[in-house]
This record gives sequence, structure tokens and C-alpha cells, in this order.
Amino acid sequence: MLRHLRTLLVTPLRAHRGRPAALLALLAACTALALIEYTPLTLLQNALFDRMQRLSPRDRSEMPALIVAIDEKSLAALGQWPWPRQTLARLVETIGTGDPLAIGLDMIFPEPDRLGSASLKRLYPQLGRIPLADPDARLAAALAATPSVLGISANKTLLHGNRSALKVTPVISRGGDAGAIANPFAGALASLPALEAAARGQALLNAQEDPALQDPERGVLRRVPLMASVAGLPVAALGPEMLRVALDAPAVEADIRNGRITRVGVDAYRLPTQADGKLILHFGPLRADRIFSAVDVLEGRIPPENFQHRFVLLGFTATGLQDRVVTPLGEMIPGVDVHAQVLESLLSGAALTRPLWLRLAEGALLITLGLGLIAAVPRLPPNFAVKLGLASAILLFLTGYAAFHLGRLLFDSASLVTLLNPVFFILIGNTLVASDQQRRLAEQALQASREAAARVAGELDAARRIQMGLLPDPAQLFAGETRFQVAAYLEAAREVGGDYFDCFMLAPGYLCLCIGDVSGKGLPASLFMAMSKSVASALLRNHPDDLAQALEEVDAALSRDNREMLFVTSFIAVVNVETGMMDYVCAGHDAPWLLRGQTIQRIRVDQIGGPPLCACEGFPYRHAQLTLEPGDRLLLTTDGVTEASNGQAWFGNERLERLLQENTQGDTAAALVEKVKDAVRNFEAGAPPADDLTLLCLEWRGPEARLPSPQTSTST
Amino acid sequence: MELEAVVHPKANLVMVRGRIDHGSSMAFSELLHPHLENCKKGAPPLVLDFAGVDYVSSAGLRALMIATRFAKNQGGRLGIAEFQPLVREVFGISRFDLVIPCFDTLEAALGELA
Repeated sequence: MLRHLRTLLVTPLRAHRGRPAALLALLAACTALALIEYTPLTLLQNALFDRMQRLSPRDRSEMPALIVAIDEKSLAALGQWPWPRQTLARLVETIGTGDPLAIGLDMIFPEPDRLGSASLKRLYPQLGRIPLADPDARLAAALAATPSVLGISANKTLLHGNRSALKVTPVISRGGDAGAIANPFAGALASLPALEAAARGQALLNAQEDPALQDPERGVLRRVPLMASVAGLPVAALGPEMLRVALDAPAVEADIRNGRITRVGVDAYRLPTQADGKLILHFGPLRADRIFSAVDVLEGRIPPENFQHRFVLLGFTATGLQDRVVTPLGEMIPGVDVHAQVLESLLSGAALTRPLWLRLAEGALLITLGLGLIAAVPRLPPNFAVKLGLASAILLFLTGYAAFHLGRLLFDSASLVTLLNPVFFILIGNTLVASDQQRRLAEQALQASREAAARVAGELDAARRIQMGLLPDPAQLFAGETRFQVAAYLEAAREVGGDYFDCFMLAPGYLCLCIGDVSGKGLPASLFMAMSKSVASALLRNHPDDLAQALEEVDAALSRDNREMLFVTSFIAVVNVETGMMDYVCAGHDAPWLLRGQTIQRIRVDQIGGPPLCACEGFPYRHAQLTLEPGDRLLLTTDGVTEASNGQAWFGNERLERLLQENTQGDTAAALVEKVKDAVRNFEAGAPPADDLTLLCLEWRGPEARLPSPQTSTST
Repeated sequence: MELEAVVHPKANLVMVRGRIDHGSSMAFSELLHPHLENCKKGAPPLVLDFAGVDYVSSAGLRALMIATRFAKNQGGRLGIAEFQPLVREVFGISRFDLVIPCFDTLEAALGELA
């Protein structure tokens, strides 16, 4: 059951090297990218963009906007907030004497001053008709005398005290109706009509909606409205409105294209925005050098000249007054500084953008890379595919950082990499599974071939033992023999070989010596060698007195069933061990060496030599005779001696002749064989032998060296 | 080991180069086979020019023996000419000159076979 379930789950993943499954994952990735606002990917996206801002925050060395702060020091000196309106009026007037470009009040005065004439006369009716100085009128006068901008706080619902009728300079829309597109609010909390009327401008203060409602933002302020729609009326935010007042322009303007707000600003000072009129603010760090304490300004410690040709924002920095926001840089800054930063951005034209085309490009890149991976990964070796995947991820991140640094564009590489991951892992997983299977198959094949090799080696070893067992041991065979000594040596180039030798008493007093070399080497030659040796030894015994006849019969017998057309060179001698008379035949074999005293000679075969056995069927072989002298040594070799190689040269007949001439005087047959073998092996210097090597040596001591044994004496 | 057929008016002349040993005798047989197929009764003789052959092992001799029999069965004529001394010695010792017609010069081969 469980296995069935597993098969059901795994089979579609494994089909066609995982390509269909990967394609499905790519389709899901495209959907997720299109609807990214509704996925947790926005968290990742925000984290990436915040990281970029931290790596390169906006430069704030220019100081176009200053802040006069209602800070702890001012509250300590002048008493609790709200201050009497006269105090505020004096503050505004003091700033005004410095001739600032505009004064923005990041505060709202919806209720009359508690020390105004109406409330005082309610408390003290005895004041009667005595004219009292009205603090609200006093503030209104100050606002009227300066380039002042008051704030309003917009709300989604019409709360108590909120109004939908406001005295604002509406934003002018170009290419559409900004009031219908911008973030909509039902109404706003605004200041007393008298103050509204006195101020040069009135603007939106909301930098942030309720953080709890903006879950993906996690309470971090990233987007700041440059405008919004309050009761259908397009209203500018404090920054653009102050700029309008400073430039004495008729209105803040909004560019609209295809139903999306694209830019908001005044004259040439415009910033690209999101579709709803929000600016993605490129934050800079909070700078204390542009914040002045209100009490210092009031009491003349800060000369008003400081404010000349600057924007001045009046706002709260005191912790108790709760106007603080968290920026992507991770700082908690007073809300009034956000307005200052908007103003700075407007003047310098600095803004982060994430235009529609960039999102479309991300989609296109996702599809291209996804299809590319699907096409490439199953064809590549896994380690290369992993490197390719890693390289494309790194390339995407580098593109993101480059876009930010060069164009202030927010390219979402994090989401792309995240969405490509499932595609990549489905493909690479399949590749790894496939290569693992191949590896296992290869291991099995290797194991099988090792076993086969071991089996063959075992069989070859057995064949070798059988082949060596076919060869006589002259020392054992002729133990106690005094008339002659026979010694032999045979070593195959491989486990088995095609050389052979034989020695046996053909008849009493007649010693037969054979040496043979089957064409080729190794196993095929060894089979023919075994047959040649048995056929030769059997037929020689049939014709003990006619060597040529015997050889012709051997030739005929071997040729009979020789479809593979192997042939064998052979030299056969029959020696009368009493007289030294030697009868011999040669079938294509190298002439043996005769060592007689100081002289070295080859046995003459030129008159009687025939082709190798089986090479020329029916060849009339002839035999020859020579007489050995006591002490003669006869050495029969195969081409394993002359063709032994040290990599540069062959051992050769000359080298062999010199060796026999100089080093073997008086040696017995056994010593001679040992010496020649050692010389050949030393010459080869450890290199593997090229051919089978066989040496057969007869030392004839002559008739004087009679056997002491009576049995053999009678036979001679 | 390589073979090269040479156009000749009187014979099918094939130049052989390299060693014909245990390792290359199979390749030699395969390369020679197409020439052998043309070596039949009435056709010009097949002459192997051995001037470029450095070494012939027993396996090489066997390949030549098989080739000779093949040609003989078809009624064709096959010979070898232009030996290097060492190779000629191999043919002499093994008496393979009795198995395959061997000639010292190309002219001699053509005079005899063609």
C-alpha cells in the first residue's frame, strides 16, 4: 500500500527525466510571480530591497530642509504639549524672520486654544466684554505672514471631527484623473478654518497607514504618498506642497499614463511614483546636524539666518509624543524627518522605482531561465548542472544589485531565485538519480567482469599446469645416465604458450630430441602445441628408423584437422648414444648450435630443411646425419631467444654466439641452459617477454662414459 | 602496419609497410582481403612489395600462408618481392620461401608471375 502510494507520487516526478514536473513547477512559479502581492514572497522581496538600501543609503550631505523640533529639551523649558498658540506663533514668526523657502507644520490644530477668549470667558464670566488677545488669531497672523503649510490627517472613514470639505490647493492631473486613482480617503482631520485660511498651503501628513494593517510591510515605512485622494479631491503631501509654496507655483502636478500615476511634483521637480501616487523613498540615515531644538530657536540661540533659503519643518522628536517610524535602514526616526527626506528627494530627483516593465521583464526572465534549465540540466553532467544553477543564481543577484546601483531600479532577484529553485531541484534530482543508477550498473558490470577475469585466470592457471605437465623432466627421466645429459627450459610469454620440447629413448640406445614452435602464442597456440607434441611422439615411435618418413606422417596427421591453419616449426634429432651418430630433420626451424671444443657452429639444414609442418602439405622432407664427438654439446632454441627485446634491439644470433663462445666452455648441459636463460632475461631487463622461450641442450659424453648399471649395459 | 595499392599494368601491386606481428597480423589479413578477392584465375598476379616491412613474426607468416592458400584455391598467383635482409632471413630459416614464391626484386616477381 505504502509502496503503491510512493510509486504514485514519485512516478510523475521521474517521468521524462523530470521535465514535465519541472514545467509544471515553472507554471506555478509564473502564477506566483504574477500574484506576488498575495504570497509570502513579498517578505523576501522587502528584505532584499531593504538590504540594498542598507548597502547604499541615499547621500544626505546636502541640507535643503531643516527641522525645528519639539523635543524633550523644549518641553522641559516651555511646559507640556500642546503649547499655547502664542508660543507657536512666536516660533513661526522667529523662523519667518530668517526668510525660509517654506515652513511646514507637521501638526494639526482642530480645536481652539484652551486659553482662547471663548473658553476663558466660559471659565470666568466676569471677564464680560473685555477684549482679550485670541491665541488662535495670533497664530493665524503668524501663518499668514510666513510661507506656511499646515497639515491634515486623512482617514479611511469619516471619524468624529473629520471633514470632507477642505481648503487645499488640489493637485492638477495630466493625462487622467488623479483623484480617482490615488489612494482614497473618506475625509481628513484639519485645523480650525481660520488657521486653514491663514496658511499659504495645506497638505497631507499621513506617511503611513495603520502598520498593523500593512502586514507585509511589518511596520517598516517603505512607501510614502506624494499625494492621496481625500473625498475625491487630489491632495498633495507636505513635501510637494511646501515645494509648491516655495516656488509660488499654482499647483502640484501629477502625470498619469494608462490609468496609473507615473510622476508627482512641481515644475521640473518630479519623482516617479507607484500607480497610486506613492513614492518608494530611498532613505538616508538620520542626521542630527539639521535638527534644532524649538526652545533654542525661540530664545535666540539659533540665529534665524540659518533658515534662509531653506525649507523648515516644525515637528515632534520627543519620545513621549509618539511620532516615530522605522525605516528600511533599521533606524527609528521621527516622522518629521520622513517629510524632510521627501523634500530632499524631490529636489535631487532621487527615487527608487519598480516600474511595470521591470515586473514584466522579471516574468520573461523567469520563463526564459526556467525553460533553459528544463532544456539544459537533463543533458549536462550533474556537477556541471549544479555549477550552472549556482552561476545563474549569482548572476540574478548581481543583476539585482547592478540595477539598484546604476538605475535605482528594484529588481526582485530573490523571488526569481526562489521560484526557480523547485524547477532546478526537480531536474537535478532526476539527473542525480539517473547517474546513481548508471554508476550502480557500471559497478555491477565491473564486478561481473572481475569475476569472469578471475574465472579465466583460474582456468588459465589450470591449463598452464596441464601444459607444463606434458613436458618431460630430463633430469628425472635420465637420472643415473652417464653417457649424456639433457637439460631443458621452457617459459611461455603468457600463461600458456605454443613452444614445446620432448626427449625420450626412441629405442634402447637411441635418444630422440624434439623442439617445436607453433605459430602465434597464448591459448590458441597451446592447444596446437599439445596436439603436435603427442602426434609427433606417437608417430616417431612408429618409424624409429626413418625420421623423414615419420616427419611426413606427422605433417599429414597435423594437417588433417587444421581449419585454423596453424603451423609448427620443428627440429627433431635421433642420437645413437653409443656412437654419436645423429640423424635429424628440420621443418622450418632455426638451426641448432653445436659447441665442439673451442668452436661454435650451426648444424647445416640448408640442404634438407623443409617448410614448417602444416604449411605445405605433402612436402617431401629429407633427413641428414652428422657424428657427434664426445664432449659435444647440442643447443636447440626457439625464436624466444633471438627475438627477446630490450625495447631497442633484439638479443639476436650474434649476441647468442658470443655468449656461447666466451662463457660456456666446459659447462654441463644444465649450466649452459641456465646461463643462456639468465642472459636473455637480463637482456630484457624486466620487460615482459615477447615470445615463448625454449632451450633444449644435449651434452654427449661419448661411449667411454658407460653406465655402471648392468641393466643398461646389456641394452647397449 | 599499412597497405597501399599501386597501379601497375602487369600486376596487382600492394606496398606493405611496418611490422606484421602478433598484434597486427589480424589487421594485415583484413587489409589484404579485398586484394586477395581479386586474385583469381585469369586476373593479374598479386605481388606484395615488402620493401617497407621491418619484421614478420610467426603470426605474420601464418597470415601469409592463409593468403597463399586462398589465392591458390581461386587459381590466382601471389608472390612477395623486395625483402629487407632480416625479413628475408626469417623466410629462409622457416623455409617459407617454399610456401610462398619469394623474389628479391619486383622485376623478378613480375617476370615469373605475370
